[in-house]
Amino acid sequence: MKTWQKLRKNPDLWDRYFIREKVITAIRTFFGNQGFHEVETPLLTGSLPPESYVDVFETTLLDRHRKPTRAFLPTSPEPFLKKLLVAGIGNCFSITKSFRNTESQSKTHNPEFTILEWYRVGATYTDIMKDCEELLLFINTYLLRSKAAKGVIDTKTLMYQGKKVSLSSPWERMTITQAFKKYAKLNLEFALTEEKLLPIAKEKGYAIGKNDNWEEVFLQIFLNEVEPHLGRGKPTIVYDYPVILAALSKKKKSDPRLAERFEFYIEGLELGDAYSELTDWKEQKERFESEERERIQLGKISHPIDTDFIDALKVGMPETGGIAVGVDRLIMLFADVSNIADTLFFPAADLFEK
Amino acid sequence: MATITTAQFRKGIFIEFKDEPHQIVDMQFVNPGKGGAFIRTKLKSVKSGRVQDFTFKSGESAVEVMVETHEMQYLYKEGESYVFMDNRSYEQYQIPKPMLGDFISFLKPNDVYQVLIHGDDAIGIRFPKKVYLKVTEAEEGARGNTVSGGGTKLVTVETGLKISVPLFIKSGDTVAIDPETGEYLERA
Repeated sequence: MKTWQKLRKNPDLWDRYFIREKVITAIRTFFGNQGFHEVETPLLTGSLPPESYVDVFETTLLDRHRKPTRAFLPTSPEPFLKKLLVAGIGNCFSITKSFRNTESQSKTHNPEFTILEWYRVGATYTDIMKDCEELLLFINTYLLRSKAAKGVIDTKTLMYQGKKVSLSSPWERMTITQAFKKYAKLNLEFALTEEKLLPIAKEKGYAIGKNDNWEEVFLQIFLNEVEPHLGRGKPTIVYDYPVILAALSKKKKSDPRLAERFEFYIEGLELGDAYSELTDWKEQKERFESEERERIQLGKISHPIDTDFIDALKVGMPETGGIAVGVDRLIMLFADVSNIADTLFFPAADLFEK
Repeated sequence: MATITTAQFRKGIFIEFKDEPHQIVDMQFVNPGKGGAFIRTKLKSVKSGRVQDFTFKSGESAVEVMVETHEMQYLYKEGESYVFMDNRSYEQYQIPKPMLGDFISFLKPNDVYQVLIHGDDAIGIRFPKKVYLKVTEAEEGARGNTVSGGGTKLVTVETGLKISVPLFIKSGDTVAIDPETGEYLERA
């Protein structure tokens, strides 16, 4: 049954779907109150920043003589917002659609999804952590305001899939190294190379193939042993990732093997990915080139690279903290549903017949 | 036994995991970013019925456990097991409750099911896409019996299960239900 048919049959469902408009209104109010500019970014572009692991959607732009130019659907609004940061827009955010191919068969992915990105000038990732704490509390309070007026509701907690989650700050904070030590009994500091990590994984019982690289093995241990413990009863911020896993973030001054990146989790949902943004154009260019090499190796379609983004960084981007948050997943949380399709009037499954 | 990769993983198949046969009861693709794609599975142990999570690397291989399917008639419940009879050999098999999961609320004595056999044991059934059950208790639709009208009501079917159906369904009707979601599909 299509979603519109379900809604017609069961009008009680409307309230759950209307959580989306309320969450988005709350986000706009939160940033509007702080003087952030909301930016509309393109949904059609001629070039992209290369990301090794993302499959992109391609289409064709025709001029009036029907001469074709390759065109792509963006995988995030990031390059556009950063160009505006260089131009001097100041604090800004965008709520927009982004597109990633080959990610449709999952309860937490839809090929087109709504992404929220915000950038705070002069900030680092620790300021963005505070923003996250405040934003989620703001949305929760906004959603519960009518009930709270009657004085019976605790606006600092929410119920997700039968579990009570306290959004009060401070959230739980742990470095990825601490998280691995605590949950996987593995000292990541001594396992930052393939020669070190792969034997440890084998010892743990993982099947290690010839072509397995460090990132894959790291992620498999993370997904199996660490992630299930994150964000239980309280959001968890995991921070300071190995540089290899942080393509667009600044290295830590105190330990250049790590990058100023964090993710936050609530009840198993990965909701946001934040950086102290990389501003060094040379390093950005190098990382682009290595991502591009990897794309080719993985057989992904090669696309024109957004060199205008590198040009913008050459002019100079201010020190900025920024984050991407999956809005659909945020809505899953506040609507208390376990499938992203239940937050969308038109999920991919309704649009593409099997 | 055959070695397969995650590309051939499907819900319902059986694989060796930690040297024991397990059924893949749920699977999800995850693509957490740099480092490739993964397949998150829920694996149910054939021996204990215990379900555990495991995330495979995309492309990782596993040994598929071959199971045979025999047509069997469901007879009755005995303790925590469900007794089925092979229609050809008349042999009886017991399936432990955890291997049937939520499907127990759709089981109807004398109906024929596709029972999965591994070695000498019945380890589950191949869940049909639809089950047909008779409505035994239904109140008359409060807002008129229009076929197109919205609104649902709760009825009881012959196995005792309560499901939500459109208002026009009456006691004595047979309805098709999706056993995976427990949702009403159509009037049979």
